[in-house]
Amino acid sequence: MPASSIDTFLACSIMIVLVLSAIVSTSNTMRPSMNELLHRNDAERFQQLAQYLLLNKGAPINWGSLRDVVPDSLGLADSASSQPYQLDIDKVSRLNSQNIYSLSYSQLWQSFGVSDVSFRIEIKTLFNLSTTLISTTNGVNESTYQFEVYAEKSGAPVLARLHSYIVVQDYINSFASVTSSNGHSSILVTIPNSLNGTAILLTFAKAESNPQIVAYDVYTFSHNSSEPLPNRTFTKLNPLNYILNVTFTYPSEEILKTLVFTYNYNFSLIEKSRNAQTAEYYIPRLLDASPMLLVITGINQSSSFAEWSSYPQVPLETGADFDKLDNGAKTVSFSHIVTINSALYEIVTKWSGAESP
Amino acid sequence: MFDNKGQIRIIEAFLAISVMFSVLVLNVPMSSTPDLERQGTLKKLGTQVLIKLDNNGTLGKLIESGNWTALRQAMNLFLPACVFYNLTVYDENMQRVNAQEVSNSNQEGSEAIVIQYLCATQSSDTHFYTIKLQLAWPK
Repeated sequence: MPASSIDTFLACSIMIVLVLSAIVSTSNTMRPSMNELLHRNDAERFQQLAQYLLLNKGAPINWGSLRDVVPDSLGLADSASSQPYQLDIDKVSRLNSQNIYSLSYSQLWQSFGVSDVSFRIEIKTLFNLSTTLISTTNGVNESTYQFEVYAEKSGAPVLARLHSYIVVQDYINSFASVTSSNGHSSILVTIPNSLNGTAILLTFAKAESNPQIVAYDVYTFSHNSSEPLPNRTFTKLNPLNYILNVTFTYPSEEILKTLVFTYNYNFSLIEKSRNAQTAEYYIPRLLDASPMLLVITGINQSSSFAEWSSYPQVPLETGADFDKLDNGAKTVSFSHIVTINSALYEIVTKWSGAESP
Repeated sequence: MFDNKGQIRIIEAFLAISVMFSVLVLNVPMSSTPDLERQGTLKKLGTQVLIKLDNNGTLGKLIESGNWTALRQAMNLFLPACVFYNLTVYDENMQRVNAQEVSNSNQEGSEAIVIQYLCATQSSDTHFYTIKLQLAWPK
């Protein structure tokens, strides 16, 4: 074989190997960009779907307040409002699994009607409030509890005005304070020793910068009694359509007080109906820019209890569990500020092109 | 042994592959163009935050009273902690009004966008302010 043929063969071989390797490496390099191009419209589509969910009233438009109705079309907007991003208190409450009238993710997904998309909805207050019991002083006639309240967002302190209420059996008292520049505030609570049982400290916080930004925290502790049992042990509180449905766990329970609290107001609830297992109370339509906290106190076999629920029932999380989805699909999340009964909340919707629930 | 023609072809092969690699090298800057999707998300979020803040006249009140600390706090509450922002307020003559910085970071972000928003105060003598809100994702 002539030397020139060997040279040509070698050159061609090297060229082919190099061209092939160049094609492979180009393909590998381009793949993320191609994927990005393929899914670029997905993000835009998901954003449109998120806005549709928040701006659309759904069908029927008052599906939130109709306790047994599964909507034909899912939308969370308040049917009585013309303002954008104003959500319905009952539609939001029906997303919370603690409400007996809540919709499962499967029902939500079917009502939404977009078969190739999975979604998750999270609603929370714009900042967090936490309460810690610092000390207890037992006197002859009364006991004094010192609490520390901390207002923060992402670790940064929040300046806020606080309004707290203490509830034990039929005893109610309230306290006002402000957080200092480090977000902390101290609250002293005095409770007569003639009372005993589970005590609830409700604290509302309004941001100094905007009175529509409100957060709350509920701290349960024992007063002259054993450690309190977890919330929802004795009753299940289900607020919907401005009626509080109470389901009793034990038929022997005696109700002492049923109350509603907001930042500025508190009222006793008027009973609508009652039997051995359930009771219903009217919830007033308060204009206060604040979530409502519903508290029920009672006695079961000589032990006093106090339980609570919020209305709207936030914080909440519902929808697909994206940690368990393993289809490699892109997940996109969007954050919106929404108004529910004049108070501002953050809603985060997460979206992915994935299978049905 | 090998003749000159063979050497030329090997040189040709290397030239060809250098052309291929140059295409790859050029491809890298192409993929680092601004992410329009992330910019769009920031733009919508920023606009919504300003509208919500202005909804009950709070934005105008904070500007009129020069309460920049409260304005910064409100922005911190409205925006996710992972978003950098810098807000500047201008009066009708486009003179900067805010004496203090209203921002949460002096770091350089990516996919930065600017939103211009016109705010009218709800006081008896209405004033107009132009708000420039710069938003960016951390790098």
